[in-house]
Amino acid sequence: MAEKTTPYLQNDDSTAADVGQPIVKIEHLGKSFGDHAVLKDIDFAVNKGDVTCVIGPSGSGKSTLLRCINLFEKPTVGRILFHGEDVTATRKPYLLRQKVGMVFQSFNLFNNLNVLHNCTLGPRKVFKMSKADAEQLALRHLKTVGMDAYVNAKPRQLSGGQKQRVAIARALCMDPEVLLFDEPTSALDPEMVGEVLSAMKTLAEGGLTMIVVTHEMSFARDVANHVVFMDGGVIVEEGAPAQIFDDPREERTKAFLSRNKAVN
Amino acid sequence: MLLKIWEILSKYYVDILIGVGYTMLVALIGTVVGLVIGILIGVYRTIPDPRNKTALVFKKIGDWLLTAYVEIFRGTPMMVQAMVIFWGFAELNDGMTLDVTVSGLIIVSINTGAYMAEIVRGGIISIDKGQFEGAHALGLTHTQTMFNVVLPQALRNILPSVSNEFVINIKDTSVLNVIGFTELFFVAKDIVTQTYETFPTYLLVAIVYFILTFGISMLLRFIERKMDGSKNYKVLGSQNMDAESFAREARNG
Repeated sequence: MAEKTTPYLQNDDSTAADVGQPIVKIEHLGKSFGDHAVLKDIDFAVNKGDVTCVIGPSGSGKSTLLRCINLFEKPTVGRILFHGEDVTATRKPYLLRQKVGMVFQSFNLFNNLNVLHNCTLGPRKVFKMSKADAEQLALRHLKTVGMDAYVNAKPRQLSGGQKQRVAIARALCMDPEVLLFDEPTSALDPEMVGEVLSAMKTLAEGGLTMIVVTHEMSFARDVANHVVFMDGGVIVEEGAPAQIFDDPREERTKAFLSRNKAVN
Repeated sequence: MLLKIWEILSKYYVDILIGVGYTMLVALIGTVVGLVIGILIGVYRTIPDPRNKTALVFKKIGDWLLTAYVEIFRGTPMMVQAMVIFWGFAELNDGMTLDVTVSGLIIVSINTGAYMAEIVRGGIISIDKGQFEGAHALGLTHTQTMFNVVLPQALRNILPSVSNEFVINIKDTSVLNVIGFTELFFVAKDIVTQTYETFPTYLLVAIVYFILTFGISMLLRFIERKMDGSKNYKVLGSQNMDAESFAREARNG
C-alpha cells in the first residue's frame, strides 16, 4: 500500500510536477515516547534551496523533529510528505534516506573504514557506482571540506572537527536533495566549531537545501534564510533571521534569545 | 623420568603426530564452521522485527528454534552429545555407524556454533547505535549495514572470544575418544596400554596440548594486532594536487 503511494521514491523522476512544491512538508506531526509528548502538532515546510535553522532550548524536540524527517523516529500522528508523497508509513525508509542525508552530533563515521572508504561506501552500495568513480566523487567532496589529504586516515586518528568534515563529505557523496544537520558542532571543542561551520556555510552558498538544528546563533543569523524557534515540542515562532533575532514577537523567543546572549 | 618421556616420544612420535593432526583438524574446522553458524544466527537474531504479520510469525518460530538449539547444546556435555549423535545415527541406520572423523567434525561444529551464536550476538549489540544510524542515513539497507559496517567491527571485537573457543576446542576434542576418534588423548590411552607407563605418557601429552594451545593463542593475538592496522597514516600530497593524482596516491597508499 505504501509502495503505491510513493512513485517519487521509486522512479527517481524529480523534475515533473513539483515546481513550487516544497521538498519536505510536515503536517500535524506529533511524537510521543510513552506518555511524554515530545512533538505536538508541528507544521513545517522546506523548499528547494532553503537553509532552515531550528533553534530552541534542550529538550524542546528539535532533534526529534529532524529525526522524524528521515524516518529515524516514527511519528505518532501526522504526515511527512516528500515532494507531495506521503512517506510516513513507507516500508522502505532507505529509499527516502538516499535523498535525505544526515550529519550527526557524534559524527558516526564507520570505524572500520578509512576516510576515503567512508565516503565511497554509500555510492558503491546504493548506486552501484564503480570503485574508481566513487573515489573521484569522494575526493571532490573531501576537497570541498578540506579533508582530501586525509583519505588514508581511520576515524580514530582524526580530531572531532576533522571527523565532522568527513561526515559532511560522506553525506554529500549521496548527492542529497536535503541535508539534515543534528547539532553538528555540539560535540566539538570551541576551536573546531569554526572549521565545521565554515564548511557548512560553503554548502549553503552553493545552494544546498539544509535543515540545521543548532545552538550556534551567529550561524543561524548569518547563513540561514529561515529560522524556526521551538520550545516544549511546538514551533513557537518562525521567520526570517532578522525578524526572529531582532524583532521576536513571542515572549518565549525573547527570553530564550536574551538567555543566550547572556551566556555568549 | 625425562628419559622415559624421551623413550616414549622417540618410539611413538608418529602416533602422537597423527593424534595432534586429528585434534587440530577437528578443532580448527569445528571452530571455523561454528563461527559461521554463529554469524548466521547472530545476524538473524538482530534483524528488526518485520511489520508483516505472517513474516513476524515465521521470524518468531525461527527465533524459538534457534534458542532451543543454543540452550540444548550449551546445556549438555559434549561427551554426551557425541554419544547421542554417534549412536543415534547408528540406531536410525540399522546399526551402520557414521565415520568417526565426520562425526567428530559435526559434533564439535554444532557444539561450538551454539556458543558462537551468543558470542556473535554480543559482538553485534556491543557496536554503537551510531554506526547503524550512520549507514542507514546513507540509505543502506539492514543487510548492507550489517555486512559492510557492523560485522567487520563485531568480528574484530569478538576475536579474543573466538580464540578462546579455539583453545577450548583443542582440549575438548579429547572427549571424542568415547566414540573411538583417534585424537591426541586416544593416542595417549593407546600408548599406555602398550607400555604401562601411565604418568610419563600423560605428562608428555599434557605438554603437547599446552604447546598447541599456547601457540594458537600467540598466533591469534598476532592476527588481532594485524587487524588493528598501523597507528600512523600518511597525509597526502600538497594542498593543490588535482583529484586524479590524489586518487592514484590513495590507491597506492
